[in-house]
Amino acid sequence: MSSELAEDMGIWSMIDSLRLRLLAWFAGLVMLVVAIVGATVCWMTWRSRVATIDAELYARAGSVASAVRPVVGGGFDVELTSEATAYFQSPTRRPYYAVWSAAGSLVDRSDPDIVHARVPAEAARTRGNSREVVVRSRGLTVLIGRDISDVWNELWSLSIIMMSVAVAGVAAALAGGWFLAGRALAPVQRINEAARRMAEGDLTARIEVERTETELGQVAKALNVAFDRQQQSMDRQRRFSADASHQLRTPVATMIAEVDWALRRERDGAQYRESLETCRRASARMQSLVDGLLLLARADSGELAIRRDTIRVDRIVGEAVDMLRPLAQARDVSCSVAASAVSAVGDADRLHELVTNLLVNGIAYNRTGGAVAVDVARDGGWAVVRVRDTGIGIAPEELPRIFDRFSRGESAREREPAGAGLGLAVAHSIAAAHGGSVACASELGASTEFVVRLPAAAAPVPADSSRVSASLSVPQSLA
Amino acid sequence: MRVLVAEDEPDLARTLGKALIEEGFAVDVARTGHDVLTKAGSVPYDTIVLDIMMPGIDGLSVLSTLRKNGDPVPVLILTARDGLDDKIRGLNLGADDYMTKPFALAEVLARVRALIRRASPEPMPELSVGPIVIDTGARTVRRESAIVDLTAREYAILELLVRRKGTVVTRSAIYEHVYDEHEDTLSNVIDVFVASLRRKVGPDVIRTRRGHGYLVDD
Repeated sequence: MSSELAEDMGIWSMIDSLRLRLLAWFAGLVMLVVAIVGATVCWMTWRSRVATIDAELYARAGSVASAVRPVVGGGFDVELTSEATAYFQSPTRRPYYAVWSAAGSLVDRSDPDIVHARVPAEAARTRGNSREVVVRSRGLTVLIGRDISDVWNELWSLSIIMMSVAVAGVAAALAGGWFLAGRALAPVQRINEAARRMAEGDLTARIEVERTETELGQVAKALNVAFDRQQQSMDRQRRFSADASHQLRTPVATMIAEVDWALRRERDGAQYRESLETCRRASARMQSLVDGLLLLARADSGELAIRRDTIRVDRIVGEAVDMLRPLAQARDVSCSVAASAVSAVGDADRLHELVTNLLVNGIAYNRTGGAVAVDVARDGGWAVVRVRDTGIGIAPEELPRIFDRFSRGESAREREPAGAGLGLAVAHSIAAAHGGSVACASELGASTEFVVRLPAAAAPVPADSSRVSASLSVPQSLA
Repeated sequence: MRVLVAEDEPDLARTLGKALIEEGFAVDVARTGHDVLTKAGSVPYDTIVLDIMMPGIDGLSVLSTLRKNGDPVPVLILTARDGLDDKIRGLNLGADDYMTKPFALAEVLARVRALIRRASPEPMPELSVGPIVIDTGARTVRRESAIVDLTAREYAILELLVRRKGTVVTRSAIYEHVYDEHEDTLSNVIDVFVASLRRKVGPDVIRTRRGHGYLVDD
């Protein structure tokens, strides 16, 4: 019990981890998407701001360059317009500039802090909190820059907003994903539940399938089919065991009751004889039952030993008919054989048993004054034995089950309560073990015909080689 | 006491039949469910020994039909089916007892006697009337502690009359209880048995109600 429980928990934790794993993948993907989108938005914003600032700086550089005029006698005079002066005094942008002459000497700078060892090359660059451009114009090199803390601040706020949205989004996605994964895995839990009940022996357990077209629906459907098969096979097995035990118990009960009766007091010779005869019949019935069950069990496990002799089917049939003539006479049933010399490959004793079973059926379930006609002929590669009777027939709905073990029609049970319902199953198994078949056609209340097909042998053989062993006899339960 | 043995296996039915007959019962045999219903419909059996697996109508259906028709006959199911479910179903359908095959013959006979005893208005194993004491288990009759030697049929008639102490039992009722379906004798044979009984147990036990039947009274 404890190991089963542990196994249960294992299944549950597996499902949970499956759900978690799905969720982790989902969360990872969502975060990746949010990160890419966020980075892209920030980058685009930065680019757009910088482009605007650069345009402004280039325009301003032009105006600064045009404000530089060479002074006669060397040197330069810088005369900014009032508008430009106002610009360079802006407290938020804190612009700055520096101008170098073509010779490389510093002409002017807005701030003594601007120190460059050499004249800078043309560029547009970001230095810390500043953006600056360097342009050459009219032989002058103009550097102009401004503070871009506002852009950085803007990007920072944007990032914070993006991140907040991302966190909220991922949280929502996780919650939704958890729910969806649970929903998606619910059928797995139903399958698990049904499989567990099945394993515990509840053969009626089935998986409720809501949508059959989904993958899990397909799995559930396939499992349900497997469960159906399992249940049918178990039912068949159970029915077989119940039938076998019933069939074995009835003769045992008869013997014990009869012996009990005989021992209750002193009996006379005739009474003892009658008791022994009853016991003989019951034990013969048990013997034939056990033999039949043994043969079927061997056939099932593929261990039924079948000799592969070349045998004369017509001889075997003739012997079986001769052996059953007394039984037929006792029941007032006539037997006729129309046989041509046909050889087959097989086991004479087993085939004798097969034919005997069919003949006994034909005689037992016949009408008074009825007939059993046996016909042996060759049909292509087959040796064909037909056993036709004028008996009670088999109802069409019982026909598909007649070769099943212990399957007996209602009328058959009424006619021959001593029969167990194994004869035809045995006949079927023997024919199958020979690579042949038995088929049945019947008209209820009129006639039944069994057709046995066995692989024919190439050439006929002498009569002697197909003699059956002397030990075979008429089934005692019917004799 | 008349018993119906419903059993489709002829040997077993015969064995049960002859054992019950030796116990003084009149026994009929039915081989199919239909047969059981027909016979139970025409004869007031004291007990039915019922097999389940019978051709035609199975034993359990027979039982529920009997009970639906209001037949209170004691039923002993005797079957090869030994599953707990089968036993419970059988008893719930109205069986009075359930035995599985194989069985000890003596137990079946004892259970049949017990069923008949319980169904009678005098459900004690020992019946008494006046100076007469009947031990239905040992099937012995004593008059003032001396054993009275009775034939099986005489015993059956006396037991029937004593079980119905205080009521008049008609000749045909006695006939139905002590003769099975195969016996066909003149109905005055009952008078012959009663006369012989009176000789053995004393003239004061069985009274005649002329035109009606016989009566045993304290």
